Formats: sequence, structure tokens, C-alpha cells
Amino acid sequence: MPASGMMRPTLRMAGFVVAALIIFGPLSSLVIWSFAEKWYWPHLFPQQLGFLYWAKVFQGDMLRALQDGLVIAVVVTALTLVITVPLAYVLARMPIPLKPVILMVFLLPQAFPQLPVFVNSMTLLYRVNLGGKLGGVILIHMVGALVFAVWTMTAVFKSVPETLEEAAINLGASRLKTFWSVSLPLATPGIVASTLLVFLYSLDEFTGTLLVGSPFVLTLPVYMYRTSVGYELQVASVSALLLMVPGIVLLVMLERYMKSEYLSMFGRI
Amino acid sequence: MVEVRVEEVSKAYGKVAALKGVSQRFASGAMTAILGPSGCGKTTLLRCIAGFLAVDLGRIRFGVDDVTELPPQQRGTAMVFQNYALWPHMTIFENVAYGLRLQKVASDEIHRCVLRVLELVEIGSLSDVETRRPGALSGGQQQRVALARALVVQPKVLLMDEPLSNLDAKVRQRLRAELRRLQKQVGITAIYVTHDQEEALALADTVVLMNQGQIVQTGTPQDIYLKPSTAFAAEFLGVSNQIDGEAEAGRLRIAGQRVPYAGSERGPVTVIFRASDVQIEAAPGTERAETISVCGELEESLFLGAHYRHYVRLPGAVVMADSADPKPMGAVRIHVPLEKVHPYHA
Amino acid sequence: MKLSVRLACLIVALPPLAIVLWLFFLPFLSSAHLSLLREGQWSLRNYWLVWRLYRYDILYSLWIALFSLAVVLGIAIFLCGYLRIHANRPVEFLFKIPLFIPFVVVGHAMRVLLAPRGTLNAVLSQIGLVSMSDPPSIAFGWIGIAVSLIWKNLALAVLLVLGAYRSVDETFLEAARNFGASAFRQIKDILLPMSRASLAVASAFMFTSMLASFSVPLMIGSGEPPQMVMIDVFYRINYQQDYGTANALGVVSYLLAMAVAGYYLRTITKRT
Repeated sequence: MPASGMMRPTLRMAGFVVAALIIFGPLSSLVIWSFAEKWYWPHLFPQQLGFLYWAKVFQGDMLRALQDGLVIAVVVTALTLVITVPLAYVLARMPIPLKPVILMVFLLPQAFPQLPVFVNSMTLLYRVNLGGKLGGVILIHMVGALVFAVWTMTAVFKSVPETLEEAAINLGASRLKTFWSVSLPLATPGIVASTLLVFLYSLDEFTGTLLVGSPFVLTLPVYMYRTSVGYELQVASVSALLLMVPGIVLLVMLERYMKSEYLSMFGRI
Repeated sequence: MVEVRVEEVSKAYGKVAALKGVSQRFASGAMTAILGPSGCGKTTLLRCIAGFLAVDLGRIRFGVDDVTELPPQQRGTAMVFQNYALWPHMTIFENVAYGLRLQKVASDEIHRCVLRVLELVEIGSLSDVETRRPGALSGGQQQRVALARALVVQPKVLLMDEPLSNLDAKVRQRLRAELRRLQKQVGITAIYVTHDQEEALALADTVVLMNQGQIVQTGTPQDIYLKPSTAFAAEFLGVSNQIDGEAEAGRLRIAGQRVPYAGSERGPVTVIFRASDVQIEAAPGTERAETISVCGELEESLFLGAHYRHYVRLPGAVVMADSADPKPMGAVRIHVPLEKVHPYHA
Repeated sequence: MKLSVRLACLIVALPPLAIVLWLFFLPFLSSAHLSLLREGQWSLRNYWLVWRLYRYDILYSLWIALFSLAVVLGIAIFLCGYLRIHANRPVEFLFKIPLFIPFVVVGHAMRVLLAPRGTLNAVLSQIGLVSMSDPPSIAFGWIGIAVSLIWKNLALAVLLVLGAYRSVDETFLEAARNFGASAFRQIKDILLPMSRASLAVASAFMFTSMLASFSVPLMIGSGEPPQMVMIDVFYRINYQQDYGTANALGVVSYLLAMAVAGYYLRTITKRT
């Protein structure tokens, strides 16, 4: 508004500083801790800074956790993508019976506390000899990943104008041909966004991995938890920073290349 | 009652200039329509007057007060929106009362004012306005409530942004007449933005025609309709025929014919006339004085309900002509009285 | 539909449905079943234990979830109102960041920041606000958990509330501004009531997720009572292998979530 022309930039600047403090304040101590070789209370800054713990972390358990976590995330993402895309299309387009019930089933893992349920899932997985194995962790990750994937991808296919598909069918294309040549290409950006969210979910998953995987399968979040409660604060801080990287990269990518609706779909679930 | 003066106002969105040094007086107590195609800057001008947009250059004055730097609420304007913008979660009464409540008017006073103004806009039964929400009303009724909401705060200037465009034709025509009656009754300075030339002509005391961020012509509806000052004005006001010609001293060459010409244009011109001013006669016909008379070929006729529209091919142009009765296809002669023909610099 | 198309739909729907039914729905039902068994016999003893040992923990969890939700909503409603009325992209971007930071990292960061000998106290002691000999502990208590949950959920709340506010057409605000409504009145009178349904849905989701939060209290909790319910479930399994009581606690948490889900369903059905 014209009247407050002078005040506005100052206020905006102040708002930005406050917001940055709120967001980066808690994260900043991680950065300091990750470089602290010696830090005695109550000094404001560490006595000795260095890359000692960064170097230490890239060997042994941590490297294994990083590797396992990535393998799990890639497999979870690939499997989820393959089984969700066709289902999402069916849910978005076909007049199938019980559609609301099916959608509600894919809401369950988000609507109820996961931990008490996963306690029993763990028993089931051990019964079929998948407990403490990569396979079991992959399956338990897929339970949560499917929630994101089914809801976002259904919304993505719904946002493809139906008339474009009807035009293809009208020209004699089969349903399958229409799906491959019209619906799928149009839905690709949304599917990519959804895939990245699934990948991030699997990379960050903690509860299921701890219950089903521990102590045989280790991913970065579980490794970080162990080091943090074991007061290996430097190691935990380095792992925490590594864990933040994919999320920040994804956020910037989504912000740059993708429509904000994908983000809000993510939130709505 | 206050006169609104816009002086040399410019406004750009990024690199796109929406208003290019617009100056205009909006007479006090009169209804002025700002007319123009979409993207001409008319809504931008209205929003600058309301204060929703800050101008880049120029001044806006209400009477003797310079309001350029004032926020919207301190200008004393009230706005009526195309989509009504009635708050769906408030009752009809609460919607109208909102402005008075913000001014901390006593509640029994609010009650009186709201009911009076709702009566003024003829909302019909007043019994349930305190329980019903605007969503339950028809579009026309909603716009009456929106008008009441604007008028109840007794604004100095009433601003209307295509208020009737979302309504169907019948309701639009009735509300048009009522808006005019109401504005005269209240005697408020009103500025009305529309892209509908018929609406502007029917409603306004003065029509301001805009194009590409500039004012093209200002005048009474009769002036604007009968004497469009540019080719754009003529075309926008529904003049259907445009053909190329050549003007010289005392002569106008058009469609292979020379006719007397007293105007000041020289060189290539665009000649403009209405389809309703064209008469068709079976060929060969006879030439008439003070008339463009040319032979051509009647290629197509469409029945439009009130009249027929004929498309006549002349050498180098197609001319539209209206008539009450059908005409046989084939060779014809058309006549256009010279007084109905307007040449503009091409 | 042709039979072949029906069959194709069924085949396509089966694998994902099977995973969720097998590893979520079935274990969910077996929670209820196991919670009623004690040493192989039908019994309500598990629930009795829950009542005796954990009733304060349930209240404690409810308190943390309600408190955090209230703070998150209180901030989000006005912050988003500001961001809706005066667009501020950089601030908006900043508040999206926590959305992409895993809960465990939030837990660890807050642990390092808020512990008695954490970064916050170090900073405050430099300017003489806290004493070095007896530093206050914000972590390892309910405030530490609440702060972490608020920090993480604020991002989600901003995303959802701002989305709802953005779907309110600009003219509704202009009409109010025209009468002199301040930013506060525009939020209170127009934006908030017009987004009530979305806000209710967002609140329901956030409340359940806070009540069911596990990694944050695990990392920043004190390890002593009172605890959040999910920690109790975990300890009951991990240290005592007592599946009966753990599942009874689980069922109580489902019931709380169901009460909220019922509210959610009522809101969305009312809206359509």
C-alpha cells in the first residue's frame, strides 16, 4: 500500500531474519557440532574445529548404513512406482466398485499410529522369515510409501483432462494405447514428483526400520538415533546433516521445476 | 458528491504498460462508464481510483483532495465486484452491516441503516435477511446485496467492475435500468467499467472509451455512437463495415468509385459504415446522388431473427448489409448514403 | 465394463492392496485381538494394566499433542494471513524447509540445542541470561518434545493453511479492505471463517501425527515417566516382551485417533 512505502522493506527484512532464526537456529548447532573436535561447556564455540569426525564417519558402520539405506530406498521407489501407476490410473478413471473403500485403505497407515501396528507387522514378517532382512524392511517401507504414492498419483491422473483421452479413444485407440500415448506422458511431471517424495520417505523412514530391521539392517536414521542417544554427538550431527541433504535438494527441485500443487498433495496425506 | 480527477496516471505491470498517462474528469453525481476491450486498462484504472493499486506516475483527486497516497479505506470509495464478492460465511445482514461495524456504529443504528438500504435496492422480503446466506440467492439478488453493502457506508464514489457480466441477459437488462434509477436517486458519483458497448450506452451519462492503456474518446452515449472519432472507436461500437479508400482534395475513391468528400483526411483511409445503413437493390439498379453506389455479387444471406444479414462481394472487399426481407442471390447494387460514411486515416 | 477390463483392474489393484492389508490392516486387527489375551486366555488384565500404569502417560501425550497443535495453529493462522495479504516468498520458502527434514534429525537437532549444556544455554549464558552452574533443561521434558513437534509441524501447517487461504478469492479481501478492515480483521473475519473446513482437516491430521510421534520423544524424552504413549509401547516390547499390554496401549491410541478421524470424516462429508 502506498502509505507505508518506507516501512515495508524494513519490516520484510525483519520478518525474514526472524524466520531464518526460527528455521536455521536449531539446525545451526548441528553444523557446529559436526566440525567440533573439542568443545567444552560453556564456551560459545568449539575449542578445536576440524574434519576429524567427517572423515571418521565415512568408514565402518555409517558407510554401511548409508549404502543399505540407498539400496532400500531405490528398491522401494521402483516397486512402488511399478505397482502404483496402474492402480492410480484405474482409481482416477475406471468406474470400479468400492472405490472409496480402496482409497480409505490407503489412508489407514497415515490415520492411525504406526508404531503399535508395526509391532505386530514385525511378528508377521519374522514368521515368514523376513524379519531383520532387507526384504522385510523394504516391505514395511512400502506400506507407508504406498499412501503417498496412491493418493498423489491418483490426483495427478485426475488432473489430466479426460477429453484428451476421449479424443484418442474416439480415433480408435484402445484403452491401453491411450494410457501409454496420452495419459502417461501428460502425467509424467506429477509422477516424477510423487516418485521423489516416495524416495525421500523411504530414505527418512525410522519407526518401521527400527522395529523390523534392527539390529541386522541399519539405515542412516537408525544409525543416527543410536549415535545420538549414545552421546556420540559429533558422529550423530554429521549423519544428521547427511540425512538433510536429499530433502533440501528435493525441496529446491520442487520449488523450481514443479507445480506447488504436488507439494500440497504431499501435505494433505 | 465529489468530482474524481485522474491526472496523467501511468501504471505498468513489469514491462507491460497498463495505463499510459491517462487524464480524465469523472463528473460529480454522474454515472460514467469506462468502456473498452479486455486488456485495455479499464479495470486497472478503476483499481487505481479505488486504491487497490498504487499508480507509478500521476495524481488522483477526489474534489480538492489528493488521494493518490491514501490507502483504499481512507478514500471513501465503495466497490461492487463482478463476482459479487459477498462473504459466503456471513448472513445477508452481516454482509451489508460489515462496513458499519468496522466504523463502530451503534448496533440499532446499523440495523436501521442496513434495512433501509436493503429496501432501497429492492431485495424483496426483508424478514429472513438475518438468517439467510448469500449462497441461497440468485445472481441478480446477490448483486443487489453487494450494491447495498457498498451504498450503506455512504461512499463518496461508487466503483463498479463489470457488475452485471456474470448475470444472464434478462436479469442483466432489468438490473441495468435499476442501477441507473438508483444512482440518480442517491445522486452519487459512479464509475462503471464494462466491455459491453450496449450496457455502457444504456447506463451512462458519459462514456469513456479506452484502448491499449489510453483514452480514445469521451462523450455522451449519443456522441460516441454516432460520431466515433477513430477507426477503433467505430469498430468497437459495432460498426460492421471497413473498406480501404483513398482521400484527396474534394474527392474520395472507394470501391472503384469517386464520390464528393469535404473532410480533411488525405491519402489512404479506412472507410467505415454500419451494415444497417447499406441498401441493396437488384442489379443493374441506378446510381443515386450523395451516395456510394457500387455493383457486386450477393454471395450469402443469414437470417438473424430481427433481420437478414447479406454478404456482398465488391471489387476488393466484402460488405455486410442488413435488411428486413430476404434478397435473391446474384448480381446486386448497394447504396450507402455519404452522410453515414466515415473515412479515417488508415 | 467388459469382463477382461474388470479382471485387469482387479489384477492391478491386488499387489498394493495386499501389502497394505497384510502389513497394516491385519496387524491392526491383531492388535485388538492380542490386547485381549493374557497368557493365552481371554482377559481384560492388559487394559487394567494400561489403566494402572499408563493413564497419566495417556493424558501427558494428549496434553503435548493438544498444546503443540494449539501453538502451531495459533502461529500458522496469523503467519499465513500475513503471507497471504503481503506475499513474502523468501519467508514462505523458509517455512517449507522443516517439511523435508526427517523427524529423527529434528529430534537430534533439538537435543543438541536444548539440552542443559546445549547451544541455546551456551548462547544465553554469554549474555548472562542463564547461570552456567545450574543450566535449565528444556530438552528431556515435555517442552522439548513440544518445541520439536511444533517446529516440524509448523511447516505442514503453513503449507495447508496458506493453500486454503490462497483459494479465497482476492475480491473477498478487497471488499473488506475497501471498508477499512485491517490485516488482523481480514484474517479474523474473512480468511479464517472461509477456510474453516480445510483447517479442521489439517488439525485432525496433525493431532494424530503428534499423538503418535515416536522418534522425537525417543530422542528428546527423559527416559523416565511421564512418557509419551508410543515410547511406552516400544519399551513394553523391547524390554519386557509384553505384547499384551503394548497392544492394549496401541488400541487406546487407535481409539483416540479414531475419534479424530471421525471428526475428519464428518467435516469432509459436510463439505461435499
